[in-house]
Amino acid sequence: MAPAAQAPVLGRRRRSPLPYTWQRGYLLASPALLVMLAILIYPLGYSFIMSFFRWDLSGSAPFIGTGNYTDELFGRQFNQALRNQTIFSVVSITIEVVAGMAIALLVNGKLRGMRLARTLLLVPPMIAPAVVGLNFRWLFNTQYGLVDALLRMFNLPDIPWLNHPAWALVSVIIADVWQNTPLMVLLFLAGLQSLPQEPLEAATVDGATPWQRFWHIVLPLMRPVIMIALMLRIIDTFRTFDVVWLMTQGGPGGATNLLTVYSYLLAFQAVDFGHAAAVSYIALGMSLFVLGLLYGVPWLVAKRRAI
Amino acid sequence: MTEAVIVGARPMPKRRRRRLTAGIASQYLALVVTVALTVFPLVWLFLTSIRSSADIFSVPVHIIPETATLTQYVAVFAQYDTMGYVWNTVIVSVATVILVHLLAIPCAYALSRFRIPGAMLIFGLLLIMRMIPVIALAIPLFAVFAALGLLDTVWALILSHTAAKLPVAIWLLLGFIQDVPKEIEEAAQSDGAGTVRTLVQIVAPLIAPGIGASAVITFLFTWNDLLLALTLTSSKAAQTLPVGLTNFVSQYGIDWGAMSAAGVLMVIPTLVFVWFAQGLLVKGLTTGAVRG
Repeated sequence: MAPAAQAPVLGRRRRSPLPYTWQRGYLLASPALLVMLAILIYPLGYSFIMSFFRWDLSGSAPFIGTGNYTDELFGRQFNQALRNQTIFSVVSITIEVVAGMAIALLVNGKLRGMRLARTLLLVPPMIAPAVVGLNFRWLFNTQYGLVDALLRMFNLPDIPWLNHPAWALVSVIIADVWQNTPLMVLLFLAGLQSLPQEPLEAATVDGATPWQRFWHIVLPLMRPVIMIALMLRIIDTFRTFDVVWLMTQGGPGGATNLLTVYSYLLAFQAVDFGHAAAVSYIALGMSLFVLGLLYGVPWLVAKRRAI
Repeated sequence: MTEAVIVGARPMPKRRRRRLTAGIASQYLALVVTVALTVFPLVWLFLTSIRSSADIFSVPVHIIPETATLTQYVAVFAQYDTMGYVWNTVIVSVATVILVHLLAIPCAYALSRFRIPGAMLIFGLLLIMRMIPVIALAIPLFAVFAALGLLDTVWALILSHTAAKLPVAIWLLLGFIQDVPKEIEEAAQSDGAGTVRTLVQIVAPLIAPGIGASAVITFLFTWNDLLLALTLTSSKAAQTLPVGLTNFVSQYGIDWGAMSAAGVLMVIPTLVFVWFAQGLLVKGLTTGAVRG
């Protein structure tokens, strides 16, 4: 056949220009790798090292060991930020994943208007979190805001959204849920559409109810997609800054300080780069730890079952 | 086999259609509620941006604006001089998209086709880079750019966004390049095309949808970014629109009308891409996730 006839020609040509050598590979990859080395890895390494120094841009930077880390880990403000971060991540991710799955199942149907709904769902995840923050700040305004106006219309008591510590955290979670639930819908929808059809058809023929099909067939098959969605949201909730900055700047009284917001305030308001860098590394360590649990625990359980 | 399925399945649609009229109605209801909750906050932003200032600060709140006016949009440009922010944002986003792809396409090609020693290490680093909190990067970059005298220039933003967006772009493009059959490249090379020509003339056109997807994603995430712009710039020389939004907050309060108008302007590129490049966006957001 034709490919066989071509093969010797390929072989002969290949000797002189050596197309897939590792030297050429490095040559092609090196510009990108050098840029990442200079602008990502070097600064990160630099701030990691500097997190063990007193680093306040004053010129002198004495080595203080793990001082920045212990200060923060036992400090009141850090623990408040950590508590906020935990509540924020757990509550918003839970709502986003559960609601995202429900909406994905809904728009996966063949009703009229589904295409438009899917298009509209693309908008929230792709608009600037800063705009989302300012918009929800306006919606939750206690004097002129729409949400309290609607509550009054139904003779319900006003809610002091952004003025009250606990409600402020709720408000920030609502804004995050509004923005990111549609992202979960997109991921789950893509997952649902690539599911094998045979097991579902077989189950229908065998008389399984829709709930049984979802619980025993769809959910287990969707596990890899759900894990990826969880991973993305864990990484991103630990990086959340823009929404909070436009809504509350971490207030009132630090009630909506997430780890990134707290680290920003330390660096650029208190000009305490050492503590700020330590906090940013603690945040990274924690998201890595949670991801480790996410992938490690099911693996351990599976291993134990196998024995 | 097929016959059995068809025979078994045939009575189902009929029965289902009759029994599920209530079910379909509730599905529609759920759909309408979902769409309303998704769209309404943005509609409200738009409605606020076309109100007069008196209408914005009225109690009780008028749901439908009393008059439609463009005064807030005029104020955004006349009073707050927003054009400078728009230009900076456009320059930074476009330059970042171009630089990221000039670097990422050859890198992804090299990683998927050439046996590079240490490739696994590079893959691992790309994944970890994706996890780094931006603040961990912003703190040292502030110090580095201060030392280089680049603070408060668009270059600081272009360079830092290029580096920060590279890992995701490379990761996305890898998936698309792996789908290109190797035989096509080998045919081109046997015809005497060099590595660069093969990449530019053969591979790049074949992965055009992938490049489009990663370009759209890179553009919007750069356009939307607040944190890097907030830390690395301090004046109108280089500040971008998201930072500009914070300028509507003054000691006298917040100019909600102009702020909403600026917010609407910021959302326009997203709406354009959602409308005209929906496929690319979905591909960019889901490719890595669904393939694993």
